[in-house]
Amino acid sequence: MKACQIVSRKFHIDQSYRLETAKEHGAYNTLKEAFALSPVEIIKTIKESGLRGKGGGGAPAGAKWMLMPQDDERSSYLAVNCDESEPGTFKDREIISKDPHLLIEGIIITCYAIKSHDAYIYIRGEYYQFQKILQEAIDEAYTAGILGERVRGEAYRMDITIHRGAGAYICGEKSALLESMEGKRGHPRLKPKQKEPEWYFGNPTLVNNVETIASIPYIIKHGAEGYREFGTERSPGTLLFAMSGHVETPGIYEAEFGTPMFDYINYYGGGIRNGKKLKAVIPGGASTAVLTADEVACATLDYEHMRVVGSALGTGGMIVMDEDTDMVEALKNLLEFYHHESCGQCTPCREGTGWSDTILQRVLDGRGSSEDIDKLLELASIMDGKTICVFAPAVAIVIRSFIGKFRDEFEAKVTA
Amino acid sequence: MSQIDIVIDNMTFTAEKGSLLIDLLIKHDLKVPYFCYHEALGADGNCRMCMVEIEGQKRPQIACDTLIKEEMVVRTKGENIDGVRRDILELELINHPIDCPVCDQAGECKLQDFYMDYGLYESNIKQSDKVHHRKHIDLGSSVILDQERCVLCARCTRFTSDITKTHELGIIGRGDHACVSTMPGKKLDNPYAMNIVDLCPVGALTSKDFRFQQRVWFLTSSPSICHGCAKGCNIFIDHNREKYKDETIYRFRPRENQQVNGFFICDEGRLSYKKLQDNRQLDMILNGKSCEEAEALEAYRNLLEAGSGKIVILADANLYTEELEMIQIYAQKLGATLSSPMVSDLDDAFADEWLKSSQRASNAKAIEKLGIMTDLPDEKIALLINFNHPNTVSIDAERVISFRTNQQKEPADLILPLAVFSESSGTLTNEDGIEQYCPKVITRNDPAPTVIEWMIRCQEEVE
Repeated sequence: MKACQIVSRKFHIDQSYRLETAKEHGAYNTLKEAFALSPVEIIKTIKESGLRGKGGGGAPAGAKWMLMPQDDERSSYLAVNCDESEPGTFKDREIISKDPHLLIEGIIITCYAIKSHDAYIYIRGEYYQFQKILQEAIDEAYTAGILGERVRGEAYRMDITIHRGAGAYICGEKSALLESMEGKRGHPRLKPKQKEPEWYFGNPTLVNNVETIASIPYIIKHGAEGYREFGTERSPGTLLFAMSGHVETPGIYEAEFGTPMFDYINYYGGGIRNGKKLKAVIPGGASTAVLTADEVACATLDYEHMRVVGSALGTGGMIVMDEDTDMVEALKNLLEFYHHESCGQCTPCREGTGWSDTILQRVLDGRGSSEDIDKLLELASIMDGKTICVFAPAVAIVIRSFIGKFRDEFEAKVTA
Repeated sequence: MSQIDIVIDNMTFTAEKGSLLIDLLIKHDLKVPYFCYHEALGADGNCRMCMVEIEGQKRPQIACDTLIKEEMVVRTKGENIDGVRRDILELELINHPIDCPVCDQAGECKLQDFYMDYGLYESNIKQSDKVHHRKHIDLGSSVILDQERCVLCARCTRFTSDITKTHELGIIGRGDHACVSTMPGKKLDNPYAMNIVDLCPVGALTSKDFRFQQRVWFLTSSPSICHGCAKGCNIFIDHNREKYKDETIYRFRPRENQQVNGFFICDEGRLSYKKLQDNRQLDMILNGKSCEEAEALEAYRNLLEAGSGKIVILADANLYTEELEMIQIYAQKLGATLSSPMVSDLDDAFADEWLKSSQRASNAKAIEKLGIMTDLPDEKIALLINFNHPNTVSIDAERVISFRTNQQKEPADLILPLAVFSESSGTLTNEDGIEQYCPKVITRNDPAPTVIEWMIRCQEEVE
């Protein structure tokens, strides 16, 4: 297994969240190089590196940065998405608790590239402890003159503000995140008619995931080619894969794209817990199609191959399930989550998530019928592709993959 | 912007490039179901009902968020799109209470209409599985909320945030637990609040004043003009004559007129229909006693002939222009002074910068145009003939003839009943100089004469 430490380099260092320790290990060293480049050159480097957004969608980061206007009388903003609420995903909090200065360094470079002086970190409300660590790191950076009126003596003002969410999953959707930051209800906005940046109070805004921003210093230091030494042609670089569930050593391990999934689970996770057999893996946070053991065997961890096996890489947060797992219960667990978290804006999602949860409860209570299972599939197709954001389509994917691949378990519940 | 042709359901329509598809569909009466879209509030895209098929797009699109483009080919009907609408409607309905028989919205409910158009299926959910919310919440401003009937189209919340900017309403909770609410302890409180009852496409918001008074399918809606102030907001008068009863007005509703009031009216104007029915002057009163018409007309003649000295005629600035003209001619004939004092009509406490004018008299502009004086005559008056003008207190006259729509305390030698505006017809000129015709809507079993009818009768007697 190829060792890679693009964002996890300081994870094992004691007290690495403190500025002093972080600086001993090279924090903020890339700022000088970055400020020597022009904003356009930085964006070009990021584009060439092939860096892809690590929040789940995997869209090329460079292309997104290029949507930001370089000459605009309005102010530009950066919103860092740390509303990490996808079940099975817990990588961003690792960066924040173990190397917050890497994130701050990335934010400074990103803001310089998009000509922004104000960055907001939208952190989920439940991350209270992590928010405290992050705030302390920001305070230290201000005291040390890294943030503030002059970034390390450069004629560049940089301010970072933490915005705590109130615990809504949907606020991880970038437009809902901005609505929430504007003080409104966290509802996704209607999609724009052409390619354009996001808007924060009518100002052009870039929204990127924590890990995406934390990858920037490495790319500046080692260049686009240095980043491309990891990963595959179309999915370059690495990802902090999170692994939870029935493995011996769950946790977060940085691996390059293209790593075989099975190898990853065995190498880092130490195999399935208690010598059991693997039954299924949800590969990239809850909202991706579940994979059977056979599919896991041929899956590799990159965006393209995961699509080939009929799922998606998502956030890379794997939920591993052993042979004893009740797939009906597992789906119920997920549907309860979606029922609870649907923002309630669009009808199909608002009512569909609740109803599918109700139907599955009936099945689990032994009051279900075969028609209920078909009704769930029908609901999945009603919810798919008819809403403002991709929440409901994700629920559709989950329902279809669970019932499609483990229908016998569902049938057993209704005929018992 | 340029005009372009697009194809909808195999027919060609001309529309402005970049305008909203749903506006075109509504304009040409092409059936498309929707809850959340409203021309005054714009697109919100939450109900997902206005789905149409657009050639080249693999998924159905919502018409309220689709801009018209060149060579667009749209389908609004067909098995596929009807199925999509039916599915989404089913989701709207799963948690909706089955209470149409006791719901005041029944008959003008979009859920009912769309169910008849696209639904017609048996319920797939058990009554016991439905999500329950609070019912009968008094929001304030005479609006009652039933959270269970709500489809969360957010029209009401958008009205208070975007139109009145008073922000009383919001949606709280998520998913199928989301519901419309005010902030704890706060009330809906703005002078236009009752418009949300009209905006609500379902029975979630009902008017405390109107609910349970009448089933809407019995009502006749007739166009009219509000007489509450000089703005001249366009309204519908909803009225009905129940068996063995008199014609009754049950409510005013706003009628769209982009030149005058847009889509809305104020609450005070909305509730002003009561003045057309409550406390009406229906009897002829001579010296404090009821009398017959012949007796009244004789008394009228006697009063005119007996008085030697100054005759003053007062005219209410709410009368129609035609009526005012008639009174003006009559005054000339009698050699009387005609006046319509304005002092009492200016009401700054009522006024705002939107639909409420400080000029409370609805036809004040006509008084100005006809050159009718607005001062109070200060000389000694032998006979005062008052056509429903409210300002009589400060006038000292020996004899008074009073034509009244509603009962008043002020004494008069002869009191004659007068038709209210809904029982008459004529023209009003609003404060911006826009002339609007107001037809006769109500015919009472025992109608009070209009100004013009009185003029004819009285002059027959004179001549």
